[in-house]
Amino acid sequence: MTGLTPKMPLLDVRSLRVAYGGVVAVADVDVSVAEGEVFGLIGPNGAGKTSMIDALTGYQAPSGGSVNFDGRDITNMRAHRRARLGLARTFQSVELFDDLTVDENLLVASERAGVMLALRDLFLPARAPDRTNVDWAIDVCDLGGVVDRYPSEISHGQRKLVGVGRALAQKPRLVLMDEPAAGLDTDESLALGQRLRSLPDEHGVTVFLVDHDMSLVLAVCDRLMVLDFGHAIAQGSPAEIREDPRVLEAYLGSHGTPVATTAAGSGS
Amino acid sequence: MSSYLLFLILGLGSGATFAILGLGLVLKYRSGGVVDFAHGAVAMFIAYVFVNLRSQGVLPLPLIVVPDHIRISSTGIDTTLAIVISLVYAALLGAVLYFLIYRPLRFAAPLTRIAASVGVMLTFEAIGVLNFGTTSQTTPPILPTTPITIGSLTFPSDRIFFTGIVVVLAIALWLIYRFTRFGLATQAGAENDRGAALIGISANRVAAINYVIATVLAGAAGILIAPVANLDPTSYTLFIVPALGVALVGGFRSFWLVALAGILLGMGQSEIIKFQSQWTWFPHGDIPDALPFILIILTMTTRARSLLARGEAMTQRNPSVARPKNPMASAAFCLIAGTLIMLLLQGSLRNAFISSLTVVCIALSLVLLTGYVGQVSLAQMTFAGVGGFMLGHISHGWGLGFPFSLILAGLCAVPVGILVGLPALRLRGVNLAVVTLGAAFTADALIFNSQGFAGGLVGLPIKPPHLLGIDLSIAEGHDYPRLIFGIMVLVVVILMGLLVARLRRGAAGRMLLAVRSNERAAASVGINVPQAKLMAFGIAAFIAGIGGALTGYQQGTLTADGFATFASLGLLAVVYVAGIGRISGAVFAGIMMSSIGLAVTFLDERFGIGKYQTIVAGLALIVTAIANPDGVMSTTTGKGPAVLYFKLQDAVVARIHGTVTTKTPAAESEQPAEARPAVEQPHHV
Ligand SMILES: Nc1ncnc2c1ncn2[C@@H]1O[C@H](COP(=O)(O)OP(=O)(O)OP(=O)(O)O)[C@@H](O)[C@H]1O
Ligand SMILES: [Mg+2]
Repeated sequence: MTGLTPKMPLLDVRSLRVAYGGVVAVADVDVSVAEGEVFGLIGPNGAGKTSMIDALTGYQAPSGGSVNFDGRDITNMRAHRRARLGLARTFQSVELFDDLTVDENLLVASERAGVMLALRDLFLPARAPDRTNVDWAIDVCDLGGVVDRYPSEISHGQRKLVGVGRALAQKPRLVLMDEPAAGLDTDESLALGQRLRSLPDEHGVTVFLVDHDMSLVLAVCDRLMVLDFGHAIAQGSPAEIREDPRVLEAYLGSHGTPVATTAAGSGS
Repeated sequence: MSSYLLFLILGLGSGATFAILGLGLVLKYRSGGVVDFAHGAVAMFIAYVFVNLRSQGVLPLPLIVVPDHIRISSTGIDTTLAIVISLVYAALLGAVLYFLIYRPLRFAAPLTRIAASVGVMLTFEAIGVLNFGTTSQTTPPILPTTPITIGSLTFPSDRIFFTGIVVVLAIALWLIYRFTRFGLATQAGAENDRGAALIGISANRVAAINYVIATVLAGAAGILIAPVANLDPTSYTLFIVPALGVALVGGFRSFWLVALAGILLGMGQSEIIKFQSQWTWFPHGDIPDALPFILIILTMTTRARSLLARGEAMTQRNPSVARPKNPMASAAFCLIAGTLIMLLLQGSLRNAFISSLTVVCIALSLVLLTGYVGQVSLAQMTFAGVGGFMLGHISHGWGLGFPFSLILAGLCAVPVGILVGLPALRLRGVNLAVVTLGAAFTADALIFNSQGFAGGLVGLPIKPPHLLGIDLSIAEGHDYPRLIFGIMVLVVVILMGLLVARLRRGAAGRMLLAVRSNERAAASVGINVPQAKLMAFGIAAFIAGIGGALTGYQQGTLTADGFATFASLGLLAVVYVAGIGRISGAVFAGIMMSSIGLAVTFLDERFGIGKYQTIVAGLALIVTAIANPDGVMSTTTGKGPAVLYFKLQDAVVARIHGTVTTKTPAAESEQPAEARPAVEQPHHV
């Protein structure tokens, strides 16, 4: 990944701080994500991962620090405008549009409808919507079987995938995923990992992945960062993270099992 | 100077009423997140109970047709006894309402809960009008009114008693909810049911008791104000608007703030009347009635974003939204069917059908705004009224002809819609309903009452439509209503229907439904949620404005009564019952259920039962909210007639199949499809 001339980072975060009243959820964290990589963010429950995504995507005003996307300061930009710049996200609790079919969920994301489009759509002759990105997202997430269903009619795993598909249907430059593999079984999780891995290389979408599933994160990410009580305690390649004593103590040590899973996961 | 003071003191009467009503609203909210639009209506009914007991010894029942009262004594009964009986009555009523209506809907979607309480409000108002009439009643004072003189100031002593009662009530409530086990349980129950159970009191019982106390307070407010302000069903029911304003100032929590705000509001209203009589430059019009709305807007916009958010994260889904399958075919069918009906009918029935069409038009705007986008609006008739009266000004003053005058009239309603929609950027669910109700109420007082804009009591003349030399007017000599006018209205309404259908099927509909489903997620896919909401308000106001303008053409001289607050509430009722998520719901509401529509007019002419429309609509609204939120016209979900029909058909088919083959897996596999959320065919345009 490392070339001779370091690329300008796609996402550049400087001393980001998120606080809810007195509770500091993210404490002065620096992150930079280069175009074309899969970046992982892990940490125990309550470490501040969701808070971080929320601050990066405009759902939570940071109490300090700056966020740059593609060389542009977006620290105080509203959520929908960040999305339009190419910064997509998924939600930990999925949050699909329950009144729309899976297909419409993706279509509405790809259209990025604004008032102008809506009014043109109302008063000018009908045009078939542009389905390029929708079909691509359906393909990437393998949603062909459920496009005409409603979110309430499909399994939890499928809903998670639709959430990912909806973010992708915007054809973003960077997609931030909040625990996309939570609640998936091992097979589903593996398949998801392969899809995520293909995103930067084959489709030009950079990935920022938050997950609890260590085998997934360690297998898929180019680089990762470990968050504990809001502090970034380690950053590096999966191999480095696996060795890092602080990480072992703060996170992996308390969960013995993930390490084992990792070994098993990478072995198979 | 002293005369200014005098008006302030006189205002204590209504101020105390607002305060007590507001305190009741706080209790109801605490007892499970209910924002009860029927609070004023219940106060009104108990006030009538008291007045009837006192003057005639008659106990009115919340019933119609069947004996609606019990005679207790042949003459009036003692005032104190009458008060006691009335308050006990209120307690019983509160318990019945709680267990029948509010308890089952604890976890329902905000729209469902709003619909139910508006249903109760309409029902009681209708009972009031049917049983007690609309002429206002007076009753002798309850509290001593001996004049008190302080310096140069002389005023009736009851104002002091009023204030005393409010202060005592506020202190008592504060003590109870601060220091007793019951109060703690209420507090805990406000968080969740289990919290109260931990304290050892059944959450159910705590909520019920709170609701009963609140209803008794409503009754007390009604009884206290009856001697001061003339008693009539409509204005008492609308006490809900100032009461909501006052409860909002207290954040639906603080008894002190609510009591204080109520008293200050009453004093403020009274003082404004003094200003208006004193200073010629002071703006005239019904400013006192606009004061509560100003209060509502100020608190809503300055306070934290979700004032009444609890219960908004509902577990039950919104009413389903249908996707029109083939709008052009439906439109063609409606055109033919409508023309045939128009040909078949004459005179008053044809006129009623035309009225139905105008209601359909306004109902379409509600389907769009409340059905598709989930923005509860209790001000739809206000938008219609703006369109109607603007048509008068445009067609006469500005010399613009049909159809441009009609379109422009609709466009004039757009800014009003956007203005009313502005609070929706920060508020949702019941908060928004409160604001729109306040807006409708204020428009009644300020805009539709004004001589200049709405022509006052006489109404505003509207120039009949002409197109390319063809006279489209409703009347020509004895020919009334003319066929060609009816067809013009039909065509315009069908065009509006096509607009809504197209909106639902296209990018705009997806965007708006995404906003209704989940605002956070909508923003994550690049949708500008505030803009989308304002667009919906704008388009809805346009459609409603066109509907109002058509009413203007129909009436020739347009008066404001059709656009009153209660008309907006009644519209929500009929559209919700018919199916607020579908165009067919608007059509059914306009033709079959509207008070001025075809079915009701027919029933009235034949059987003289048109006056029962409001109560039927109110009751139907309650039942629909509880049992079938998708409405009558739903074909796939809920318990509407269409669904029942299909179920029955399936059952019969299965039975027939069953006689041939013992088991039919096909019929079984269709079951899950029944449960699908409403929408119809998958789409690929
Ligand atoms: N809205 C909020 N108000 C107050 N505190 C909050 C809020 N949201 C999160 N927190 C607190 O901030 C800290 C970080 O929470 P966050 O949800 O970001 O963690 P997380 O790493 O995503 O956890 P999980 O793995 O459980 O999803 C936690 O201590 C949490 O309790
Ligand atoms: Mg999280």
